[in-house]
Amino acid sequence: MKESLMEIVCCPMDKHDLELDADERDDGEIISGTLTCTDCGESYPIEDGIPNLLPPDMRDGA
Amino acid sequence: MKGKEWYQADDVAEEYDAKRFSRGGRLIDRREKQAVLDAVGPVEDRSVLEIACGTGRFTVMLAERGADIVGLDISDAMLAQGREKARQAGVDDRVEFMRGDAARLPFPDDHFDAVVAMRFFHLAPTPRKFMAEMARVSKDQVFFDTFNDFSTRVLYNRLLPMGSHLYGRDEVEDLLGSADLELADADHDFVLPYGFYRKIPDAMAGQFRKLDTAIGSSPLGEKLCSVSWWNAQVG
Repeated sequence: MKESLMEIVCCPMDKHDLELDADERDDGEIISGTLTCTDCGESYPIEDGIPNLLPPDMRDGA
Repeated sequence: MKGKEWYQADDVAEEYDAKRFSRGGRLIDRREKQAVLDAVGPVEDRSVLEIACGTGRFTVMLAERGADIVGLDISDAMLAQGREKARQAGVDDRVEFMRGDAARLPFPDDHFDAVVAMRFFHLAPTPRKFMAEMARVSKDQVFFDTFNDFSTRVLYNRLLPMGSHLYGRDEVEDLLGSADLELADADHDFVLPYGFYRKIPDAMAGQFRKLDTAIGSSPLGEKLCSVSWWNAQVG
């Protein structure tokens, strides 16, 4: 994902802002990292450049 | 393997387009793309969200025409296909793909100019919830298709790997009303269902399609068509 996506996305649960913590970047793209809700504290992984904003109850293995 | 599991399997995603849109399926692909463009185009510099974008057939097409678009899907295998398609088309700078739940969208209210959901509502277990979310994040337009009851789809439906919900006009209007959306326009087609075109040889597909279009545009057409496209405005 591109960093500009931060202006659009919010927490799927309470719609509050998310904070980006990037682990790996490549040519302006965020390849892996975490998005964390500034209100409820729920975190959402970014894997292979694709943010996973599925609510926690719908994630793999949930 | 049924439903969600089937949809999210890697091999299903890899073969999804080839299985559906080769041979007579190309007619379907072209007609569906036309339906989207007729309703949401011109899209240059419009911000668009596609729900259940799958392999990104429409996401990439709209990006190629200048839309700033987000494609959301539940399956990472489908999204991987979408990203590859966007890369090949050279539009990755206009597209973002993400995993998400259509009933709990990760976007603020009134954000997008248009929200599109193709081939989604026949698989939606809680259509009111999904429609309300699409309406919430759109400031202008919501566009989607349905497969219709009382059409040839009823027979074909029994053969499908995924269970499928068929709609009538009253139900769609009810659904729109529940989300405070107003129907602006509707289009109907395919007296012969999609599955038929996928199975017959290309050379025959054109002939059947001519007949299909003739019946579809007759006064009885809307009632017989298996697919409807609904263009709604935020109230």
